[in-house]
Amino acid sequence: MGVREYGLLYWVVVGVLALLVASPVLSRVLVYPRTEFFTELWLLDADHGARNYPFNITRNENYSIYLGIGNRLGYCAYYMVQVKFRNQTQPAPTSFGPIESRLPSSLPSLFNMTAFVADEQVLEIPITFSINYTLNEQFSEVELFSLRLNGVQLNMSDYTLSWDADGKAFRGFLFFELWLYNADTNSFKYHGRFVGLRFNMTVPV
Amino acid sequence: MLSYGRFVIAVSCVLLLVFAVLFVSPALCYNEHEAKAAVEATESKVSSCYGTVFEAEKAGANVSNLLSVLNEAGWFLSKAKLAYSQGDFDSAVAFADNCSSRLDGIVAQAESLKLDAERAGHWDFMVNFVGSAVGAVCVVVGGFAVWVFLKKREEIRERV
Repeated sequence: MGVREYGLLYWVVVGVLALLVASPVLSRVLVYPRTEFFTELWLLDADHGARNYPFNITRNENYSIYLGIGNRLGYCAYYMVQVKFRNQTQPAPTSFGPIESRLPSSLPSLFNMTAFVADEQVLEIPITFSINYTLNEQFSEVELFSLRLNGVQLNMSDYTLSWDADGKAFRGFLFFELWLYNADTNSFKYHGRFVGLRFNMTVPV
Repeated sequence: MLSYGRFVIAVSCVLLLVFAVLFVSPALCYNEHEAKAAVEATESKVSSCYGTVFEAEKAGANVSNLLSVLNEAGWFLSKAKLAYSQGDFDSAVAFADNCSSRLDGIVAQAESLKLDAERAGHWDFMVNFVGSAVGAVCVVVGGFAVWVFLKKREEIRERV
């Protein structure tokens, strides 16, 4: 038997061996590059689910939620979460159109939380809050005093909620806007994302 | 009439109170300008540390621990800013100091991690990229050389 008869088998073995040796290079060269860079933002209830979000709020009672940030930007990011509260008539952040051109709410931030998240990592921030408020029967509105968020007392003395005749409730909205640090301008820019909770502020009869 | 001992104690207490008012209190009270300067300096330090950590991560370093420290420091910075906005300048400076002390040494750690990552990256490139590519070429060239050698040996045998 000659060498030529085994030629095909020989070159197949050589080829497979070459591919095996070249596999570290090929694994880098043939990987499809990342083309989508974005941030995920979510809220979960106290059980890490999406069912039992706080809705009926009682004065000074503690409620727990989780705020999650997933970084898929391709670099470790420096975020700022602005905590805001609004009633039904105050402006919410915009929710439509391209995410880059969405606008934050013009309301002042009650508190700014910073968050540093590595690329392809997730940061979950446990949040415990309670709201101190009272019913002003004369004007039929709820007057808010303060929001206690993770042990930090935030003044809400300018906030009032009027009676929603359709929903038969005093409606309030707590929301979290995501801002992203830009090293070139040394400032934060709205990242087009927000999550929030809708409340029914219950008052003792 | 007070006894001499009681008189000395009373005078000492009064002097202590006077000194406390004159020296201790001013040291603990910060005005708006000082608080603003402290918060801004700390904010700048956080940004600077983030920049260093960013560079370390870009070089391939695992910066999870450094980001945890930055998150802790960021929480104090948030509280410092809130205290400042509420006019509580002492707390603002205290939180800013807390934030600043959390960040001590983070730049050195980030730079060290960056250097390690660059070294590891270079070694990884040489072994896994260059070594692998050269190895594959060697396998093909070696295979061809062996093939030529075997063919020639067979030809010589056939002639004989």
